[in-house]
Amino acid sequence: MASKDIKVQVNHLTKKFGDLLVLDDISFNINKGEFVCIVGPTGCGKTTFLNLLTRLIEPTSGEILIDGKPADPHVHNISFVFQEPSAFPWLTAQQNIEYGLKIKKKSSEEIKSQVDKIIGLLGLEKFRNAYPHEMSVSMEQRVVIGRAFALNPDLLLMDEPYGQMDIKMRYYLEDEVIRLWKATGSTVLFITHNLEEAVYLAERVLILSNKPAKIKAEKKVDLPRPRSVSDDKFVEIRKDITDMIKWW
Amino acid sequence: MRTKNQKIRDFVLSAISVIVLIALWCAVSTSKPDFFPTPMATIERLVKLFEKPIMKVSIWGHIFASLKRVLFAIGASIIIGVGLGLIMGWNKKVRAAIYPIIMTLRPIPPIAWIPLIILLFGVGEFPKVLLVFIGSVFPILLNTISAVSMVDDMYLKVGKVYKANTWQTLHHIVFPASMPTILAGIKIAISSGWMVVVAAEMLASKSGLGFLITRGRDSYDVALIMVAMILIGIVGAALSIVFSFIERRLCGWMSS
Ligand SMILES: Nc1ncnc2c1ncn2[C@@H]1O[C@H](COP(=O)(O)OP(=O)(O)OP(=O)(O)O)[C@@H](O)[C@H]1O
Ligand SMILES: [Mg+2]
Repeated sequence: MASKDIKVQVNHLTKKFGDLLVLDDISFNINKGEFVCIVGPTGCGKTTFLNLLTRLIEPTSGEILIDGKPADPHVHNISFVFQEPSAFPWLTAQQNIEYGLKIKKKSSEEIKSQVDKIIGLLGLEKFRNAYPHEMSVSMEQRVVIGRAFALNPDLLLMDEPYGQMDIKMRYYLEDEVIRLWKATGSTVLFITHNLEEAVYLAERVLILSNKPAKIKAEKKVDLPRPRSVSDDKFVEIRKDITDMIKWW
Repeated sequence: MRTKNQKIRDFVLSAISVIVLIALWCAVSTSKPDFFPTPMATIERLVKLFEKPIMKVSIWGHIFASLKRVLFAIGASIIIGVGLGLIMGWNKKVRAAIYPIIMTLRPIPPIAWIPLIILLFGVGEFPKVLLVFIGSVFPILLNTISAVSMVDDMYLKVGKVYKANTWQTLHHIVFPASMPTILAGIKIAISSGWMVVVAAEMLASKSGLGFLITRGRDSYDVALIMVAMILIGIVGAALSIVFSFIERRLCGWMSS
Protein backbone atom coordinates (compact mmCIF):
# COMPACT_ATOMS: atom_id res chain seq x y z
CA MET A 1 0.00 0.00 0.00
CA ALA A 2 1.53 3.31 -1.07
CA SER A 3 1.74 5.82 1.75
CA LYS A 4 -0.38 8.36 -0.12
CA ASP A 5 -3.35 6.04 0.30
CA ILE A 6 -3.06 6.17 4.06
CA LYS A 7 -5.55 8.53 5.60
CA VAL A 8 -4.91 8.14 9.30
CA GLN A 9 -1.67 6.99 10.85
CA VAL A 10 -1.62 6.27 14.57
CA ASN A 11 1.88 5.93 16.03
CA HIS A 12 2.54 4.63 19.55
CA LEU A 13 -0.43 6.44 20.97
CA THR A 14 -0.60 6.44 24.77
CA LYS A 15 -3.05 8.20 27.05
CA LYS A 16 -3.07 8.40 30.82
CA PHE A 17 -5.58 10.17 33.00
CA GLY A 18 -3.37 10.85 35.99
CA ASP A 19 -2.13 7.39 36.95
CA LEU A 20 -4.85 5.61 34.98
CA LEU A 21 -3.37 4.16 31.79
CA VAL A 22 -6.19 4.01 29.24
CA LEU A 23 -4.51 3.63 25.86
CA ASP A 24 -1.25 1.72 25.80
CA ASP A 25 1.04 2.22 22.81
CA ILE A 26 -1.46 1.85 19.98
CA SER A 27 -0.34 1.90 16.37
CA PHE A 28 -2.33 1.31 13.18
CA ASN A 29 -3.29 2.88 9.87
CA ILE A 30 -6.55 3.60 8.13
CA ASN A 31 -6.68 3.89 4.35
CA LYS A 32 -8.43 6.55 2.37
CA GLY A 33 -12.10 5.77 1.90
CA GLU A 34 -11.94 2.76 4.17
CA PHE A 35 -14.69 1.75 6.58
CA VAL A 36 -13.05 0.55 9.79
CA CYS A 37 -14.82 -0.70 12.88
CA ILE A 38 -13.21 -0.72 16.29
CA VAL A 39 -14.65 -3.15 18.79
CA GLY A 40 -13.69 -3.31 22.43
CA PRO A 41 -15.14 -3.98 25.85
CA THR A 42 -17.02 -1.31 27.79
CA GLY A 43 -14.78 1.30 29.32
CA CYS A 44 -11.63 0.22 27.47
CA GLY A 45 -10.90 3.62 26.01
CA LYS A 46 -12.74 3.76 22.69
CA THR A 47 -14.27 7.18 23.25
CA THR A 48 -10.95 8.41 24.61
CA PHE A 49 -9.32 7.39 21.35
CA LEU A 50 -11.80 9.37 19.27
CA ASN A 51 -11.42 12.37 21.55
CA LEU A 52 -7.70 12.23 20.85
CA LEU A 53 -8.31 12.11 17.11
CA THR A 54 -10.38 15.28 17.25
CA ARG A 55 -8.04 16.89 19.74
CA LEU A 56 -10.77 17.31 22.32
CA ILE A 57 -8.02 15.94 24.58
CA GLU A 58 -4.23 15.71 24.14
CA PRO A 59 -2.26 12.43 24.07
CA THR A 60 0.28 11.62 26.78
CA SER A 61 2.65 10.43 24.09
CA GLY A 62 2.61 9.24 20.51
CA GLU A 63 1.02 10.94 17.55
CA ILE A 64 -1.92 10.80 15.19
CA LEU A 65 -1.30 11.89 11.60
CA ILE A 66 -4.03 12.61 9.11
CA ASP A 67 -2.80 12.91 5.53
CA GLY A 68 0.70 12.90 6.99
CA LYS A 69 0.11 15.91 9.24
CA PRO A 70 -0.69 15.98 12.96
CA ALA A 71 -4.45 15.59 13.45
CA ASP A 72 -6.02 19.00 13.87
CA PRO A 73 -9.69 19.84 13.42
CA HIS A 74 -8.60 23.26 12.17
CA VAL A 75 -6.77 21.65 9.27
CA HIS A 76 -8.67 18.45 8.65
CA ASN A 77 -12.27 17.97 7.84
CA ILE A 78 -13.41 15.72 10.67
CA SER A 79 -16.97 14.91 11.68
CA PHE A 80 -18.09 13.19 14.82
CA VAL A 81 -21.23 11.34 15.80
CA PHE A 82 -21.24 11.15 19.58
CA GLN A 83 -22.38 8.24 21.68
CA GLU A 84 -25.16 10.32 23.24
CA PRO A 85 -27.81 12.09 21.14
CA SER A 86 -26.31 15.45 20.24
CA ALA A 87 -28.69 17.20 17.87
CA PHE A 88 -29.16 20.82 18.88
CA PRO A 89 -32.67 20.96 20.37
CA TRP A 90 -33.19 24.57 19.24
CA LEU A 91 -32.63 23.74 15.56
CA THR A 92 -34.89 21.87 13.17
CA ALA A 93 -33.69 18.74 11.41
CA GLN A 94 -32.69 20.76 8.38
CA GLN A 95 -30.93 23.46 10.44
CA ASN A 96 -29.05 20.79 12.38
CA ILE A 97 -27.82 19.26 9.14
CA GLU A 98 -26.79 22.71 7.89
CA TYR A 99 -24.88 23.48 11.07
CA GLY A 100 -21.37 22.32 10.13
CA LEU A 101 -21.64 23.84 6.65
CA LYS A 102 -22.65 27.18 8.12
CA ILE A 103 -19.75 27.13 10.57
CA LYS A 104 -17.47 26.50 7.61
CA LYS A 105 -19.08 29.50 5.87
CA LYS A 106 -20.03 27.62 2.74
CA SER A 107 -22.05 29.52 0.16
CA SER A 108 -25.80 29.30 0.52
CA GLU A 109 -26.22 27.45 -2.81
CA GLU A 110 -23.67 24.89 -1.72
CA ILE A 111 -25.38 24.49 1.66
CA LYS A 112 -28.75 24.06 0.02
CA SER A 113 -27.68 21.46 -2.52
CA GLN A 114 -25.68 19.49 0.03
CA VAL A 115 -28.45 19.55 2.63
CA ASP A 116 -31.08 18.56 0.07
CA LYS A 117 -28.91 15.67 -1.00
CA ILE A 118 -28.40 14.44 2.56
CA ILE A 119 -32.07 14.86 3.45
CA GLY A 120 -32.93 12.90 0.31
CA LEU A 121 -30.48 10.11 1.14
CA LEU A 122 -31.87 9.89 4.66
CA GLY A 123 -35.50 10.13 3.52
CA LEU A 124 -36.08 12.95 5.99
CA GLU A 125 -38.15 15.22 3.72
CA LYS A 126 -41.19 15.03 5.95
CA PHE A 127 -39.18 15.93 9.03
CA ARG A 128 -37.22 18.84 7.64
CA ASN A 129 -38.85 21.32 9.98
CA ALA A 130 -39.29 19.08 13.02
CA TYR A 131 -37.41 19.81 16.23
CA PRO A 132 -35.51 17.04 18.04
CA HIS A 133 -38.07 16.88 20.84
CA GLU A 134 -40.65 15.92 18.22
CA MET A 135 -38.50 13.02 17.01
CA SER A 136 -37.69 9.56 18.30
CA VAL A 137 -34.15 8.86 19.50
CA SER A 138 -33.33 7.00 16.29
CA MET A 139 -34.67 9.83 14.16
CA GLU A 140 -32.58 12.31 16.10
CA GLN A 141 -29.50 10.14 15.64
CA ARG A 142 -30.15 10.05 11.88
CA VAL A 143 -30.21 13.84 11.86
CA VAL A 144 -26.87 13.86 13.69
CA ILE A 145 -25.47 11.40 11.15
CA GLY A 146 -26.77 13.63 8.37
CA ARG A 147 -25.05 16.60 10.01
CA ALA A 148 -21.80 14.64 10.04
CA PHE A 149 -22.00 13.46 6.43
CA ALA A 150 -23.15 16.84 5.11
CA LEU A 151 -19.64 18.20 5.53
CA ASN A 152 -18.19 15.63 3.16
CA PRO A 153 -15.71 14.85 5.91
CA ASP A 154 -12.26 13.49 5.15
CA LEU A 155 -12.72 11.44 8.25
CA LEU A 156 -15.97 10.52 9.96
CA LEU A 157 -15.85 9.21 13.51
CA MET A 158 -18.87 7.40 14.88
CA ASP A 159 -18.96 6.43 18.55
CA GLU A 160 -21.50 3.65 19.09
CA PRO A 161 -24.15 5.71 17.33
CA TYR A 162 -26.72 2.93 17.45
CA GLY A 163 -26.02 1.83 21.01
CA GLN A 164 -29.48 2.64 22.30
CA MET A 165 -31.53 1.36 19.39
CA ASP A 166 -33.49 -1.79 18.82
CA ILE A 167 -32.40 -4.41 16.31
CA LYS A 168 -34.80 -3.45 13.54
CA MET A 169 -33.85 0.22 13.62
CA ARG A 170 -30.20 -0.76 13.79
CA TYR A 171 -30.37 -2.82 10.59
CA TYR A 172 -32.05 0.01 8.85
CA LEU A 173 -29.55 2.61 10.01
CA GLU A 174 -26.59 0.36 9.27
CA ASP A 175 -27.70 0.15 5.64
CA GLU A 176 -28.20 3.86 5.64
CA VAL A 177 -24.70 4.63 6.89
CA ILE A 178 -23.28 2.33 4.20
CA ARG A 179 -25.30 4.18 1.60
CA LEU A 180 -24.00 7.55 2.83
CA TRP A 181 -20.45 6.25 2.99
CA LYS A 182 -20.65 5.03 -0.62
CA ALA A 183 -22.27 8.26 -1.80
CA THR A 184 -19.73 10.55 -0.13
CA GLY A 185 -16.53 8.51 -0.27
CA SER A 186 -15.66 9.45 3.31
CA THR A 187 -13.27 7.50 5.47
CA VAL A 188 -15.26 6.12 8.37
CA LEU A 189 -14.11 4.97 11.78
CA PHE A 190 -17.02 3.31 13.53
CA ILE A 191 -16.94 2.22 17.14
CA THR A 192 -19.22 -0.43 18.52
CA HIS A 193 -19.23 -3.28 20.95
CA ASN A 194 -21.69 -5.22 18.85
CA LEU A 195 -19.65 -7.74 16.83
CA GLU A 196 -22.38 -8.46 14.35
CA GLU A 197 -22.66 -4.77 13.61
CA ALA A 198 -18.91 -4.55 13.10
CA VAL A 199 -18.85 -7.45 10.66
CA TYR A 200 -21.87 -6.12 8.83
CA LEU A 201 -20.36 -2.70 8.29
CA ALA A 202 -16.61 -2.89 8.20
CA GLU A 203 -13.99 -3.61 5.60
CA ARG A 204 -11.66 -4.16 8.50
CA VAL A 205 -12.28 -4.70 12.21
CA LEU A 206 -9.77 -3.67 14.88
CA ILE A 207 -10.18 -5.46 18.17
CA LEU A 208 -9.13 -3.71 21.36
CA SER A 209 -8.24 -5.40 24.62
CA ASN A 210 -9.49 -4.52 28.07
CA LYS A 211 -8.14 -1.37 29.67
CA PRO A 212 -5.37 -0.39 29.16
CA ALA A 213 -6.38 -0.80 25.54
CA LYS A 214 -4.03 -2.30 23.00
CA ILE A 215 -4.87 -3.58 19.57
CA LYS A 216 -5.28 -7.28 20.18
CA ALA A 217 -6.09 -8.33 16.64
CA GLU A 218 -7.28 -7.19 13.28
CA LYS A 219 -9.69 -8.89 10.91
CA LYS A 220 -10.37 -8.14 7.27
CA VAL A 221 -13.97 -8.53 6.19
CA ASP A 222 -14.02 -8.96 2.42
CA LEU A 223 -17.65 -9.95 2.01
CA PRO A 224 -19.68 -8.50 -0.84
CA ARG A 225 -22.49 -6.06 -0.05
CA PRO A 226 -25.31 -6.14 0.80
CA ARG A 227 -24.24 -8.58 3.49
CA SER A 228 -26.45 -11.05 5.21
CA VAL A 229 -25.98 -11.86 8.87
CA SER A 230 -27.02 -15.46 8.30
CA ASP A 231 -24.61 -16.02 5.44
CA ASP A 232 -22.10 -18.81 6.23
CA LYS A 233 -19.06 -16.69 5.63
CA PHE A 234 -20.51 -13.88 7.71
CA VAL A 235 -21.13 -16.24 10.61
CA GLU A 236 -17.62 -17.65 10.28
CA ILE A 237 -15.98 -14.24 10.47
CA ARG A 238 -18.12 -13.27 13.40
CA LYS A 239 -17.12 -16.49 15.19
CA ASP A 240 -13.45 -15.81 14.48
CA ILE A 241 -13.73 -12.42 16.08
CA THR A 242 -15.71 -13.82 18.98
CA ASP A 243 -12.86 -16.29 19.57
CA MET A 244 -10.34 -13.48 19.51
CA ILE A 245 -12.13 -11.68 22.30
CA LYS A 246 -12.76 -14.63 24.60
CA TRP A 247 -10.49 -12.95 27.10
CA TRP A 248 -12.87 -9.99 27.51
CA MET B 1 -53.27 20.16 27.44
CA ARG B 2 -56.50 21.29 29.05
CA THR B 3 -59.71 19.95 27.62
CA LYS B 4 -62.52 22.26 26.66
CA ASN B 5 -64.51 21.27 29.73
CA GLN B 6 -61.59 22.01 32.01
CA LYS B 7 -61.18 25.41 30.39
CA ILE B 8 -64.84 26.24 31.04
CA ARG B 9 -64.56 24.98 34.61
CA ASP B 10 -61.43 27.08 35.24
CA PHE B 11 -63.10 30.15 33.76
CA VAL B 12 -66.16 29.71 35.97
CA LEU B 13 -63.96 29.24 39.03
CA SER B 14 -61.97 32.39 38.41
CA ALA B 15 -65.16 34.35 37.63
CA ILE B 16 -66.60 33.22 40.97
CA SER B 17 -63.57 34.36 42.90
CA VAL B 18 -63.63 37.77 41.21
CA ILE B 19 -67.31 38.11 42.11
CA VAL B 20 -66.61 37.11 45.73
CA LEU B 21 -63.81 39.67 45.90
CA ILE B 22 -66.07 42.44 44.58
CA ALA B 23 -68.80 41.41 47.00
CA LEU B 24 -66.35 41.65 49.91
CA TRP B 25 -65.24 45.03 48.61
CA CYS B 26 -68.89 46.19 48.55
CA ALA B 27 -69.45 44.91 52.07
CA VAL B 28 -66.40 46.65 53.48
CA SER B 29 -66.81 49.90 51.57
CA THR B 30 -70.52 50.61 52.08
CA SER B 31 -69.94 51.24 55.81
CA LYS B 32 -67.37 53.97 55.21
CA PRO B 33 -67.70 55.13 51.59
CA ASP B 34 -65.72 58.34 52.24
CA PHE B 35 -62.58 56.54 53.31
CA PHE B 36 -62.94 53.54 51.08
CA PRO B 37 -64.83 54.00 47.81
CA THR B 38 -67.32 51.39 46.64
CA PRO B 39 -66.74 49.47 43.39
CA MET B 40 -69.36 51.67 41.71
CA ALA B 41 -67.63 54.86 42.83
CA THR B 42 -64.33 53.49 41.60
CA ILE B 43 -65.76 52.69 38.18
CA GLU B 44 -67.30 56.14 38.00
CA ARG B 45 -63.91 57.61 38.82
CA LEU B 46 -62.36 55.54 36.04
CA VAL B 47 -64.95 56.75 33.53
CA LYS B 48 -64.30 60.32 34.60
CA LEU B 49 -60.61 59.74 34.14
CA PHE B 50 -61.22 58.85 30.50
CA GLU B 51 -63.09 62.12 29.99
CA LYS B 52 -60.94 64.45 32.03
CA PRO B 53 -57.14 64.27 31.76
CA ILE B 54 -54.90 64.82 34.78
CA MET B 55 -51.98 67.19 34.23
CA LYS B 56 -53.17 67.45 30.61
CA VAL B 57 -52.38 63.74 30.14
CA SER B 58 -55.12 61.24 29.34
CA ILE B 59 -55.35 57.94 31.17
CA TRP B 60 -53.81 56.21 28.16
CA GLY B 61 -51.04 58.76 28.31
CA HIS B 62 -50.31 57.86 31.95
CA ILE B 63 -50.31 54.16 31.21
CA PHE B 64 -48.11 54.75 28.21
CA ALA B 65 -45.71 56.94 30.25
CA SER B 66 -45.17 54.12 32.75
CA LEU B 67 -44.87 51.49 30.02
CA LYS B 68 -42.37 53.55 28.10
CA ARG B 69 -40.10 53.89 31.13
CA VAL B 70 -40.28 50.18 31.82
CA LEU B 71 -39.64 49.19 28.22
CA PHE B 72 -36.61 51.46 27.89
CA ALA B 73 -35.20 50.17 31.14
CA ILE B 74 -35.89 46.52 30.29
CA GLY B 75 -34.30 47.06 26.87
CA ALA B 76 -31.16 48.37 28.53
CA SER B 77 -31.28 45.53 31.09
CA ILE B 78 -31.50 42.94 28.33
CA ILE B 79 -28.60 44.42 26.38
CA ILE B 80 -26.36 44.81 29.42
CA GLY B 81 -27.60 41.80 31.41
CA VAL B 82 -27.39 39.33 28.53
CA GLY B 83 -24.18 40.80 27.12
CA LEU B 84 -22.34 40.91 30.42
CA GLY B 85 -23.91 37.62 31.48
CA LEU B 86 -22.62 35.84 28.35
CA ILE B 87 -19.13 37.17 28.99
CA MET B 88 -19.21 36.36 32.71
CA GLY B 89 -20.70 32.93 32.19
CA TRP B 90 -18.19 32.10 29.48
CA ASN B 91 -15.00 33.51 30.97
CA LYS B 92 -14.22 32.33 34.48
CA LYS B 93 -11.67 35.09 35.05
CA VAL B 94 -14.10 37.86 34.20
CA ARG B 95 -16.65 36.19 36.42
CA ALA B 96 -14.22 35.96 39.33
CA ALA B 97 -13.40 39.64 38.90
CA ILE B 98 -16.94 40.99 38.72
CA TYR B 99 -19.12 38.52 40.60
CA PRO B 100 -18.44 39.85 44.14
CA ILE B 101 -19.44 43.37 43.06
CA ILE B 102 -22.66 42.09 41.57
CA MET B 103 -23.52 40.01 44.60
CA THR B 104 -23.05 43.10 46.78
CA LEU B 105 -25.02 45.45 44.57
CA ARG B 106 -27.91 43.08 44.04
CA PRO B 107 -29.40 43.13 47.56
CA ILE B 108 -29.63 46.94 47.59
CA PRO B 109 -33.29 47.62 46.83
CA PRO B 110 -34.03 50.15 44.08
CA ILE B 111 -35.73 52.40 46.66
CA ALA B 112 -32.44 52.76 48.53
CA TRP B 113 -30.90 54.15 45.37
CA ILE B 114 -33.46 56.93 45.04
CA PRO B 115 -31.78 59.66 47.15
CA LEU B 116 -28.42 59.14 45.48
CA ILE B 117 -29.91 59.07 42.02
CA ILE B 118 -31.96 62.21 42.61
CA LEU B 119 -28.85 64.00 43.91
CA LEU B 120 -26.87 62.92 40.89
CA PHE B 121 -29.42 63.12 38.10
CA GLY B 122 -32.34 65.19 39.37
CA VAL B 123 -35.93 64.14 38.75
CA GLY B 124 -36.19 63.88 34.95
CA GLU B 125 -36.88 60.81 32.84
CA PHE B 126 -33.38 59.37 32.99
CA PRO B 127 -33.24 58.78 36.75
CA LYS B 128 -36.60 56.93 36.63
CA VAL B 129 -35.46 54.71 33.82
CA LEU B 130 -32.21 54.16 35.70
CA LEU B 131 -34.10 53.06 38.81
CA VAL B 132 -36.18 50.58 36.83
CA PHE B 133 -32.98 49.37 35.21
CA ILE B 134 -31.46 48.74 38.65
CA GLY B 135 -34.58 46.84 39.61
CA SER B 136 -34.56 44.67 36.51
CA VAL B 137 -31.00 44.03 35.39
CA PHE B 138 -30.00 41.56 38.11
CA PRO B 139 -32.41 38.72 37.36
CA ILE B 140 -31.43 38.89 33.68
CA LEU B 141 -27.73 39.03 34.43
CA LEU B 142 -27.75 36.25 37.01
CA ASN B 143 -29.95 33.96 34.92
CA THR B 144 -27.71 34.51 31.90
CA ILE B 145 -24.57 33.73 33.89
CA SER B 146 -25.97 30.53 35.30
CA ALA B 147 -27.49 29.45 31.96
CA VAL B 148 -24.20 29.97 30.14
CA SER B 149 -22.14 28.13 32.70
CA MET B 150 -24.56 25.21 32.57
CA VAL B 151 -24.67 24.70 28.80
CA ASP B 152 -24.45 20.97 28.16
CA ASP B 153 -20.85 19.99 27.47
CA MET B 154 -22.08 17.77 24.64
CA TYR B 155 -23.15 20.78 22.57
CA LEU B 156 -19.83 22.51 23.19
CA LYS B 157 -18.01 19.39 22.04
CA VAL B 158 -20.03 19.38 18.83
CA GLY B 159 -18.95 22.99 18.29
CA LYS B 160 -15.31 22.10 18.89
CA VAL B 161 -15.38 19.18 16.49
CA TYR B 162 -16.80 21.43 13.77
CA LYS B 163 -14.16 24.03 14.62
CA ALA B 164 -16.56 26.78 15.60
CA ASN B 165 -14.60 29.82 16.78
CA THR B 166 -15.46 31.54 20.05
CA TRP B 167 -17.91 33.95 18.45
CA GLN B 168 -19.65 31.16 16.53
CA THR B 169 -19.82 29.02 19.65
CA LEU B 170 -21.41 31.85 21.63
CA HIS B 171 -23.76 32.81 18.83
CA HIS B 172 -24.83 29.37 17.58
CA ILE B 173 -24.59 27.23 20.72
CA VAL B 174 -24.26 29.05 24.03
CA PHE B 175 -26.83 31.74 23.32
CA PRO B 176 -29.65 29.52 22.00
CA ALA B 177 -28.96 26.87 24.65
CA SER B 178 -29.28 29.57 27.34
CA MET B 179 -32.35 31.16 25.80
CA PRO B 180 -35.02 29.52 28.01
CA THR B 181 -33.27 30.55 31.22
CA ILE B 182 -32.54 34.03 29.91
CA LEU B 183 -36.20 34.49 29.00
CA ALA B 184 -37.22 33.33 32.48
CA GLY B 185 -34.92 36.03 33.85
CA ILE B 186 -36.45 38.66 31.58
CA LYS B 187 -39.89 37.65 32.80
CA ILE B 188 -38.89 38.23 36.41
CA ALA B 189 -37.22 41.50 35.36
CA ILE B 190 -40.40 42.78 33.72
CA SER B 191 -42.52 42.20 36.79
CA SER B 192 -40.00 43.71 39.17
CA GLY B 193 -39.38 46.60 36.74
CA TRP B 194 -43.11 47.30 36.68
CA MET B 195 -43.16 47.50 40.47
CA VAL B 196 -40.16 49.81 40.55
CA VAL B 197 -41.54 52.22 37.95
CA VAL B 198 -44.60 52.82 40.09
CA ALA B 199 -42.42 53.50 43.12
CA ALA B 200 -40.22 55.85 41.09
CA GLU B 201 -43.24 57.75 39.76
CA MET B 202 -44.66 58.17 43.24
CA LEU B 203 -41.60 60.13 44.27
CA ALA B 204 -41.22 62.70 41.56
CA SER B 205 -43.23 62.66 38.40
CA LYS B 206 -45.94 64.42 36.44
CA SER B 207 -47.12 61.37 34.58
CA GLY B 208 -47.52 57.65 34.98
CA LEU B 209 -49.70 55.36 37.08
CA GLY B 210 -47.54 55.89 40.16
CA PHE B 211 -48.07 59.62 39.79
CA LEU B 212 -51.87 59.07 39.76
CA ILE B 213 -51.56 57.43 43.17
CA THR B 214 -49.70 60.38 44.70
CA ARG B 215 -52.13 62.76 43.00
CA GLY B 216 -55.01 60.81 44.59
CA ARG B 217 -53.35 61.02 47.98
CA ASP B 218 -52.61 64.77 47.70
CA SER B 219 -56.13 65.66 46.60
CA TYR B 220 -57.73 63.13 48.93
CA ASP B 221 -59.23 61.32 45.94
CA VAL B 222 -59.27 57.76 47.29
CA ALA B 223 -61.20 56.49 44.25
CA LEU B 224 -58.37 57.70 42.03
CA ILE B 225 -55.89 55.76 44.16
CA MET B 226 -58.03 52.67 43.73
CA VAL B 227 -58.31 53.19 39.98
CA ALA B 228 -54.57 53.59 39.62
CA MET B 229 -53.85 50.52 41.73
CA ILE B 230 -56.24 48.37 39.74
CA LEU B 231 -54.76 49.62 36.47
CA ILE B 232 -51.27 48.84 37.73
CA GLY B 233 -52.42 45.30 38.44
CA ILE B 234 -54.13 44.85 35.09
CA VAL B 235 -51.30 46.30 33.00
CA GLY B 236 -48.75 44.26 34.96
CA ALA B 237 -50.70 41.07 34.33
CA ALA B 238 -51.08 42.01 30.64
CA LEU B 239 -47.33 42.51 30.37
CA SER B 240 -46.64 39.09 31.69
CA ILE B 241 -49.22 37.48 29.40
CA VAL B 242 -47.74 39.23 26.36
CA PHE B 243 -44.29 38.14 27.38
CA SER B 244 -45.38 34.53 27.81
CA PHE B 245 -46.51 34.62 24.19
CA ILE B 246 -43.15 35.95 23.07
CA GLU B 247 -41.43 33.32 25.17
CA ARG B 248 -43.40 30.54 23.52
CA ARG B 249 -42.64 31.92 20.08
CA LEU B 250 -38.92 32.11 20.76
CA CYS B 251 -38.63 28.77 22.52
CA GLY B 252 -41.03 26.67 20.48
CA TRP B 253 -38.26 24.10 20.21
CA MET B 254 -38.51 23.24 23.91
CA SER B 255 -40.36 20.07 24.74
CA SER B 256 -43.54 20.98 26.54
N1 LIG C 1 -11.58 12.84 31.43
C1 LIG C 1 -11.28 11.69 32.08
N2 LIG C 1 -10.63 11.70 33.25
C2 LIG C 1 -10.34 10.55 33.91
N3 LIG C 1 -10.65 9.33 33.45
C3 LIG C 1 -11.31 9.24 32.29
C4 LIG C 1 -11.66 10.41 31.54
N4 LIG C 1 -12.32 10.02 30.42
C5 LIG C 1 -12.37 8.69 30.48
N5 LIG C 1 -11.75 8.21 31.59
C6 LIG C 1 -11.59 6.80 31.95
O1 LIG C 1 -10.97 6.16 30.87
C7 LIG C 1 -11.51 4.87 30.66
C8 LIG C 1 -11.96 4.73 29.23
O2 LIG C 1 -13.10 5.56 29.01
P1 LIG C 1 -13.82 5.66 27.61
O3 LIG C 1 -14.98 6.53 27.78
O4 LIG C 1 -12.82 6.01 26.58
O5 LIG C 1 -14.29 4.15 27.40
P2 LIG C 1 -15.19 3.55 26.24
O6 LIG C 1 -14.42 2.43 25.66
O7 LIG C 1 -15.66 4.61 25.33
O8 LIG C 1 -16.39 2.96 27.08
P3 LIG C 1 -17.93 2.73 26.63
O9 LIG C 1 -17.97 1.39 25.97
O10 LIG C 1 -18.65 2.72 27.93
O11 LIG C 1 -18.31 3.85 25.76
C9 LIG C 1 -12.61 4.70 31.67
O12 LIG C 1 -12.11 3.93 32.75
C10 LIG C 1 -12.91 6.09 32.14
O13 LIG C 1 -13.30 6.08 33.49
MG1 LIG D 1 -17.51 5.38 24.88
